[in-house]
Amino acid sequence: MSAGQAVQAGYKNVKVYLDGEPAWSKAGYATYAGYGFICQGNNVLVDLRSAEKAAKARIPRSVSMPFADLEYAMEEIPIKAPVVLFSDSNEEMLAALKMFKEEGYKKVALVEDGYHGWKRLGGKLIKGPVVTEVSWKRILAPGEVKISDFEAALEDPSKAVILDVRTNEEVAVGKLKGSKHIPLDQLCSRMDEFFATIDGLTKEQNIYVHCTTGARAEMAYKELIKNGYKNAKFLMAEVSCELNDCDIEE
Amino acid sequence: MQKTIVKVLSALIVATFFLSGCAQENSKTTGSAVKPTAIAKKKMTGPVYKGRVVGKSNKAKTISIQVGKGKKAQTIMVKFDENTKGIEHATKGHGIIVSYEKQGKDVYAKSVKPKLAKMPKGVVGIKTEDLKKMIDSGEDFVLIDSRPAHRYGTGHLPGAISIPVCEMQELLGLLPKNPNKSLVFYCGGPT
Repeated sequence: MSAGQAVQAGYKNVKVYLDGEPAWSKAGYATYAGYGFICQGNNVLVDLRSAEKAAKARIPRSVSMPFADLEYAMEEIPIKAPVVLFSDSNEEMLAALKMFKEEGYKKVALVEDGYHGWKRLGGKLIKGPVVTEVSWKRILAPGEVKISDFEAALEDPSKAVILDVRTNEEVAVGKLKGSKHIPLDQLCSRMDEFFATIDGLTKEQNIYVHCTTGARAEMAYKELIKNGYKNAKFLMAEVSCELNDCDIEE
Repeated sequence: MQKTIVKVLSALIVATFFLSGCAQENSKTTGSAVKPTAIAKKKMTGPVYKGRVVGKSNKAKTISIQVGKGKKAQTIMVKFDENTKGIEHATKGHGIIVSYEKQGKDVYAKSVKPKLAKMPKGVVGIKTEDLKKMIDSGEDFVLIDSRPAHRYGTGHLPGAISIPVCEMQELLGLLPKNPNKSLVFYCGGPT
């Protein structure tokens, strides 16, 4: 917080809400999306009004999910997607917010004062047949490898070394064909010795790290980068293996 | 003369920012901790790392902490086990102070403490319900979101304006002219 600066600048009545936005959201209170995020953010913008109203005038990019059908329609939205809701009724927006949170969506915000608020701001509106299909795609984080690139490297080992950082017990159940394995907790102490066992591996080599969810892979990726393996990447996906048969799912 | 005063003032303001920034955005406290430093402070003895948790794996019993910022930023992997005290404070995204020891090439966490932002002098802390009451009762105050602008965009508190910590100096003009007006700052949590 920049409260100290405000005090320095002469403000006499400065308070700090230290728990901040996470505590606010956790208490079940609404947060509101900014104009730019509503216009072109990487999110699913949901119009809770009736399809008839949406067809007459709606916020561009919005997907029509009338509140009455929301319970079923929301299943179309990936759980990791940020969601922005609007309606012409504040009660409806708050009720929908609660539903999304209960369903496990972590990033849900509202358009301030909904459709009316947007109109008052002079926000752009469009009309015509409504969109019901959700087309959200997650944007890769820095260092993340696309699932398709990872799968291509499984087919063609010359593209990258696949590095498995799961535990010995997990690997015993099954592993990806052709992958190299070192448990994450041994990576730091054995990195150079381990990589020396892989023929022809240089620090320029593409290395794709995976685990079961991506959490450990990301940590391993950071260690590899730190140690000069500059083309290391990690897979943020669910990998579940039985023998040499593994499923990779977003 | 006028210019000197302005310079001194802005230096002061910059200094305050470093002292009072959200710990999460605060680089200065972590910057010096890249190299192990022996700080004998309260209960923490021996070398410590201060930084933000960027990863935690219960399966591998490992946490990754980012220490330092910008070009000096680096990620350090620390192991823990059932003897590590306060491991529950190691939550992704939170700031922590880890007292550690070297075991061969591994770094082992002896204890973990949350890194709490210090309240600047002359500032009053409030809780969620206090703020909720202030908003609901229509109290006259300015609510300021100090997080980076994109975080404000994805979801901010009702009626808040965006003044990211780093731009506070340039955006000071967005604050009300009246120095007696009530201001409430918030960011991304206590650590």
